[in-house]
Amino acid sequence: MTSSLIALETFVGFRWLPADYWDLSIPVYLYLAVVAGGAYLAGASAWFRRTLGGGGGRLEPELIRWGFLIAVVSAAGAGLAVMSHLAVIYRALLFPIYLTNFSSWITIGTWILVLLSVIATLCLVLALFGEDAAGEDGQSLWPRAVVSKLGILPTVDRLVDRVRPPTGALVALHAVGSLFAVATIYTGFELAIVETVPLWNEPVIVPALFLTSGVAAGVGLTLAVSLLFEREIGQLAGGYAVAVGLLSGVSLLIAGIGWSEIAAGGMAANASHGALTEGTLAIGVLVVALGLALPLLVGVALGAAAALGRLPRSVERAGGPLLIASFGLLTVSGLLMRILFLLAAEQHPVVVVA
Amino acid sequence: MFYFDPNRCIGCHACSISCKQRHDRDADADDWRTVTHLERGEYPDFQELPVSMSCMHCHDAPCEQVCPPDAIVKREEDGIVTVNRDRCIGCHYCAWACPYGAPTYGDDGLMSKCNMCLGEGPGSGHGKPPKQKAEDGGLKLSCVDNCVGEAIKAGPVSEVMEEASEAAARRFENGAYNSRVIVEPMDEDSAAGMDDVADASINADDEGAAAIPAGGSDADGGASDWLNG
Repeated sequence: MTSSLIALETFVGFRWLPADYWDLSIPVYLYLAVVAGGAYLAGASAWFRRTLGGGGGRLEPELIRWGFLIAVVSAAGAGLAVMSHLAVIYRALLFPIYLTNFSSWITIGTWILVLLSVIATLCLVLALFGEDAAGEDGQSLWPRAVVSKLGILPTVDRLVDRVRPPTGALVALHAVGSLFAVATIYTGFELAIVETVPLWNEPVIVPALFLTSGVAAGVGLTLAVSLLFEREIGQLAGGYAVAVGLLSGVSLLIAGIGWSEIAAGGMAANASHGALTEGTLAIGVLVVALGLALPLLVGVALGAAAALGRLPRSVERAGGPLLIASFGLLTVSGLLMRILFLLAAEQHPVVVVA
Repeated sequence: MFYFDPNRCIGCHACSISCKQRHDRDADADDWRTVTHLERGEYPDFQELPVSMSCMHCHDAPCEQVCPPDAIVKREEDGIVTVNRDRCIGCHYCAWACPYGAPTYGDDGLMSKCNMCLGEGPGSGHGKPPKQKAEDGGLKLSCVDNCVGEAIKAGPVSEVMEEASEAAARRFENGAYNSRVIVEPMDEDSAAGMDDVADASINADDEGAAAIPAGGSDADGGASDWLNG
């Protein structure tokens, strides 16, 4: 061994940087933003089917309204969660003035979330009020009851019908909203560009995982809430269930690829992998895996049978609760997955080789 | 640009304490400059290496790139990275992006860090005129001024390079430490008599350390580097 090599190997030390800069409000924010996107896509796709495809049935309007309602509530929740973390909230509220760095994914994401919220709210109002909505029934119409108690329902119905855009403009509105819904993939990029954290620094895997799992949860939650009141699993519900199942399966696949990459990574990646395979976090990993696998099996099996009209009557009775339970687990596991991403994050240590 | 010579650092913390005093930081506040004592082995084969670190004022400033409100600025005039706390929203994104753990947060949740003594106190560097040399009336860096072993130096790259050894300059030019800081390699004298330690050194392959090239690329699955011998 040469003297220089001796010098090289004389001291190797590592200084691990603290990695507790974000609290649990951040994974809640990262999750609810994509759930809002997924729920919007559920509502918009049902709207497109109803408007352009001439579809009918009781479930369609329920999916539209619940989808947009969940999108609005989730987007609002995401906004509140992220603001609760900030030191100076009013600067975030004045984002057009303060958030000027468009190379930062937080700035990009703020605009996406705000615009999605605005479009989802518009779509919700148009779906809830007006002459057409007045002639319908369903549990998703509960906001009408609230407005009715205020004594302004006829006025709101007339107003909405008066300002309702023509079909072409509505198609454009829902299409643009769908683009913003898919753009909630930004939540993944917010983590993926952080080069100091190898668990996050996967520019394809993390955004893809966040998008597929979040959209699956958003669509699944919309379908689950709709099925709570419309117990019958028809062809339309079956189609959505298959979509949720497939998205869950894709999420599981992506997570598996990411898992193997982390396992084969460097020091910080190994530290993250170790944290995820030991103790409490390992239980969380199992719950997430189950939360993605169960909707895949239940959603595809039950959904395909229902979509093809081959769901046995004996299974149909248990099918609704089974779908609701599995999609509920999917919703929980999506949030848990993001919490694990935060708790297992390790920054590259500062390496000393002297 | 900072320069650090581990051969001259005695780990006395004069740099970090003087930084606190200069910038009126609480005694228990996060340090803008930290001295970490890295240890390995057990007596009698025990080694300790003090490492003094702060914001490196990186030429590619990862913190600046992720800061949503453009509160962090890499100044063209003198290369110092400053913080405009009147724009900071306290999102802590910069802390994740920084390879050196430099951003700190007080009770107000706003970010503060080393400003190369452009001013005194959190956020004081923002908007200040270009850094002047001490002989021209500029404020001398407290860490540099108080370092008893002259282990820390700072200044424009060209000036710091003149202070560096040929080996350190060559490594810097070859992209070591992502060209964010100049660090002297350990003297062979410092390593003298440590053959046993070297032989018993941790398995660098296992630790991922041996894979770290002089350039300190993170892509190899290694780590951000501060010192690479």
